[in-house]
This record gives sequence, C-alpha cells and structure tokens, in this order.
Amino acid sequence: MKNKKIITIMLITVLMSTATGFSQAKITVKGSDTMVILAQKWAELYMKQNPATSVQVTGGGSGVGITALINGTTDICNSSRPMKQSEIEKLKARYNTLGVQIPCAKDGITIFLNEANKVEELTLKQLSDIYQGKIRNWKELGGNDAEIRMYGRENSSGTYTYFHDEVVKADYAASVQSLPGTAAVVNAVKKDVNGIGYGGAAYAVGIKHARVKKDTNSTAILPTAESIRKGEYPITRFLYMYLRNRPTGETKKYIDWILSEEGQMIVTDVGYFPYK
Amino acid sequence: MMKNKVKPNVTEMKKLFAIAGLIMISIHGYSQTQKIDSLIEVIDRHEGKINALDDRVLVNESDLGKLNKIKISGYIQAEFRNYQSGIVKTNDPYSTFLIRRARIKFTYEPLDGVKFVLQPDFSTGNLVLKDAYAVVNIPKIKDWTLWAGQFNRPNYEVEYSSGQREVMERSRVIRAIYPGEREIGVKLEYIGSKIPLKFQFAVLNGNFTGSQPIDVDTKKDLMSRLVYSVKLPQAGIGIDVGVNGYYGGTKAKANPFISRITGETDSVALGSYLKKQWMGGEIQIFADFLGGTAVKAEYMSGTNNFASLTGLTSTIAALKGDPNKERVFSGYYLYLIKNIGPRFQLVGRYDYLDPNTKTSGETSTTSELYYKTWALTTQYYMNDNIRISLQYEMPKNETNTKVPDDLKDNTLTVRIQAKF
Repeated sequence: MKNKKIITIMLITVLMSTATGFSQAKITVKGSDTMVILAQKWAELYMKQNPATSVQVTGGGSGVGITALINGTTDICNSSRPMKQSEIEKLKARYNTLGVQIPCAKDGITIFLNEANKVEELTLKQLSDIYQGKIRNWKELGGNDAEIRMYGRENSSGTYTYFHDEVVKADYAASVQSLPGTAAVVNAVKKDVNGIGYGGAAYAVGIKHARVKKDTNSTAILPTAESIRKGEYPITRFLYMYLRNRPTGETKKYIDWILSEEGQMIVTDVGYFPYK
Repeated sequence: MMKNKVKPNVTEMKKLFAIAGLIMISIHGYSQTQKIDSLIEVIDRHEGKINALDDRVLVNESDLGKLNKIKISGYIQAEFRNYQSGIVKTNDPYSTFLIRRARIKFTYEPLDGVKFVLQPDFSTGNLVLKDAYAVVNIPKIKDWTLWAGQFNRPNYEVEYSSGQREVMERSRVIRAIYPGEREIGVKLEYIGSKIPLKFQFAVLNGNFTGSQPIDVDTKKDLMSRLVYSVKLPQAGIGIDVGVNGYYGGTKAKANPFISRITGETDSVALGSYLKKQWMGGEIQIFADFLGGTAVKAEYMSGTNNFASLTGLTSTIAALKGDPNKERVFSGYYLYLIKNIGPRFQLVGRYDYLDPNTKTSGETSTTSELYYKTWALTTQYYMNDNIRISLQYEMPKNETNTKVPDDLKDNTLTVRIQAKF
C-alpha cells in the first residue's frame, strides 16, 4: 500500500511538472559560422512573414552549436559537418534520441589564393600536403620561390573538421594560423601574396579561387554553382540543421519553410546552393 | 599735387605679392612640415606601443592556448535516503543524508589525439583516485585509440557515468562482477567513423577493488566488447547490439580452500586458478516517439570467483571456514526510459541477479539468494548543471527457511546533482 502511494506521488509530480515543459515562445538557432549569414537571412524573412515568431540566430562554430544542442540551450543547431559519433552518444545519453539531421544547403569549400599568386590549380593530395606542412614552398607547385603561409579555421569550426577529415586526412601542421571565421581567412589571404586559405564560397569576394583536382589525372574544377550543384567540384559538402527530436509546432513550420522553394531561393541569394 | 600722384608699379607690386606669397607659403609649409614631423613622431610612438601590445597579446594567446588544453569538469551528488527496516544501517538510521559523489575530472589534451585524465573522488571520508589514464590515437590507424592506466572496464552500464545514468545505482549483476567499475591495464578501442562499429579489447590485472597498486597474480584478465549500431533515420530509431566477454581468473595463493559451486568446501592446490569467465549480450534501442524513448537491456552468465577474506594476503593463515568461492551466476537488466519534454524523464528498471544458479531454496546460503529489483525513477533537469532525481527501489529476494520472507529493504532516494 505504501509502495503504491509513493509511486502514485512520483507519477503525479512528473505529470504536473511536465505541463510547463511544452511551451516554446521562440526558436533559437546556434552554430556554424559558415552558415550564420544564411541563417540570419532566413530568420529575417521568416519573421517578416510571421511576426508572431521570434527566431534568434547566433554563430560560434558547428562544435559550439552541437554542444548547445546537447546542453539544451538551442532548438536548432547549424552545422557545416555531420555530427560525430561521440556527439550522437551524448545526445543518446541525455535525450534518448539520435538527433535529427536535416540537409538544408550545399556548399563547396573554396581554396583561396592571393590574386598575385601564379598557382591556379591544386590536387587534393597537394592540399593535404600543404596543410600537413609537407609542401612548404610555392615553387614546388609551379609558383614563386616563396614560403607558403597557411590560414585556416579554429577547431570549433565545422569547416575545420570537414577539411581535416575529407582533405587533409592527418594532423594539421602547427604553422597553420587559426582565424575566427571564413571572412577573416579571406582577408588574410587578400593581404598575403603567399597565403592560402579555405572556407565557404559565400565569403570569397576579392580573392582568387583555386581550381581543384581529385588527382593528377582528373580535370581541375572551379567551384561554381554548376560544379557544386552537380557534385563535380571535389570538395562539396552539405550544410545541416540538427535537432534533438523530430520537429513539431513552430519549429517544424520554420524548417518546412527553409526547405521550401522560397527558403532555398535565399540559399542561392547568399551564395550557397540548394540542398537538392 | 594730386595730379603728380605716382602710379603703382605693377611689376614691383607683383614681385611684392610673390615674395609675400612665398613667405606665407614657406611659413605655412614650415608649419605643415612641423606638423607632419610631429605626426610621424606620434605614429612612430604609437606603432611602438602597438608592437609592444602585439607581443603581449601573442604571449597571452600562447598562455591561453596552453590553458585551453586543460579541461576541468566534475559533479556532486547530495542525497537523502529513507530505508525500510530490513536494511537498517550502522547505528540504526532509517534515513540519512549523504554525499554520494564529489568528483573533479582533469583532462589535459596537449596535442590532437593525446589525452590525459585524472579524476579523484572527494566524497565524505573517501579520497579515492577513480580515473588515471592516458589515451593516444594510434598514428596512421584512424579511429583506433590506446588507453593505459586505471579506467572503467569496457561494459555499457559500467561506462555509463552516474552523472548521466537514469537510475541511481548500477544493476546488481554489474555491481557483483565489476566491483568498483575500474581496473588497471591497457585497452585498445576502435570507434568507426565510417562503419558504425565499436570494438574494445582490454588486458587487465583482474583483481582490482580499489586499493591494490599491483596485480596479485601473473596471469592477466582479458575483456572484450563489440557493438554494432543500426540507424533508421526516417523512423527516428537507432539500435545498438553487442556482445561482450570476460576471460580471466584468480590464483589461489594462500588459501587452499574453495567453496565449490554446490557449496561444499574443498581444498585446491596452491597456485591453481579460480575461474572468472562469462559472456554477455546487450541491446539499446533509441526511438524518437513523442520525444526520446529508450529500451536498454543486457544479459550475462558465466563463472565468477570471490576471494575469501584471507585469500588475497599471504600473511594470514588459510581458513577452511573462509574459503574462496567459485560460482556460476546469471543476471540481466532492462531499462525503459521516456523523456517528457526537454526537462523530464520517467524511468523504470527491472534487474535480476542469481549469484549461484546451481542452488536454490534451502540449498542457498543467505548471500546466494537471487534478487529481482524494480527501480522507478523520475528526473528533472532544472538546467544544464542541475538534476533532481526521485527514486523508489524495491528489491525482492529469494526465500528459504533462513530468510523466510521478502526483506523489508525498499529505499526511497532524493538526489540533487550539480555538475559543471
């Protein structure tokens, strides 16, 4: 009898307390710096059309966004890389779900070179060797006799992780200068004749894009809308939104709108490519 | 008179204006040059200051970079327990407040793929080193890590930290076969980035209970676990299925007596090994059904041994009345967890342990009765740092003439956990 009473009290406590857990006044979005401009444009237009909804967007990097998703401090996480197994394990432990992955745009990681650089194209192997510190002089790539200066992103960035996993495939050289945001990488390469950097195409204004080859026998491809959309450009990736659970209510409405024709037009306006 | 007025000489006037202009320009120019000179001085001075600041920022960045490699985390669990009369504790308390955990974890990552972990536990009267290990990514073999030191044994419930676990204590079978959870040794671990597979293989001392700095015998115990993950993203379902096994033993060093599986005491040759061998299977199902839902289960069965009180020391005489024990056991646990909104969880767990499957009823000694235990728990995550838990645990034991009734050993626990 006493047991039954205790169990009943526990159930009532949960049911009463959960009644307050469902309200969701605003949608918070956190994560990828690569996606922050795109996410802000989405939010601005959506809030114009739906004044009753508030969408709050912040950057910080994909890693920061995923941590926020796990900690419950954001509703949507923007990430320019897929979630790692270790991160999925944390979601499982806290929320008993695997998380929901929603591809929402496509992007090509662009290799930035200074306009004065003679080098026009690079293979994936050469890029890996450059960022591992194995190739150190532009002369080895047909350029001037000058030391290569590498710029990259901080390790909280999804672009950093994606470039590491898909291109470098080994530890980055210690001499890679980490910069906060792709815009900073572009700016550094703009000022440095011997610089090289990587980042999302949307930020690549005023500098030269290298043509990239899968290997020495392949055709060098420039990151264009066409080549990225078709997946011909060798460093093409999806940009994702992640949620803890399958979306419902206002969050679902917002995501449906992002994936609609209207939402995908903004993707093109910002300089990325529709997810399908 | 006036007629004789001298007309101004235009040429001279021009000269005068030119001279005046030159003087003005040169005065102005001089002043401009002075201004430029002083501006250059100011710029030089500020450039020097900026360069000095730059140097200081670089030094600070370097120092900060080193500090960023050290991560400090931890948690405290303070709780109140109310016992039924069957498990009255020392000095007769029916209820108590206690600090169950007070841990700080220091993690240092000097390089990508190299990690050192140190975790002491400061709970009341109990300063114990829980974790002390190094993890290294094996060069050129992606996804493989090598662990060395004192770490959790590779088992699902063992590795599931109490800071995360939904029920307050691990199930009885896990507590019986992996006392203290940790072991000293080395571990090879593979977590596939492309293949959804996890493999762990450990070589361990095998007799660690928290205090032996070295092994008590030469043979090392082996432990392995293999888990495959299946994902059905459209259905929001993930299933992890695995098998695990333990192969080891304990050397009969000083106590030549053994309590056989059926209970009778016998003598064994000194130096013979008492078995510690078992196999297990596990499954965890995660489903996004009206919020997170999970079902987790594990079953294991095999032979375990228990050292006598005198078995691990060579200074105390062997006692026939205090033999080592070798037992065939079996046990399992089953969790059902339901997340309700982002802050609440409702949890039920049923677990079973028969420490000696070869005896039952009258032939079971008090310490070898089987137990079936229900635990019902609710969790409230106040925020990222605070969790409040309420649990009612109801163990039901096997009965015989020595223990004729189910013991009154239910426990109500309220816990506040703060982690950072």
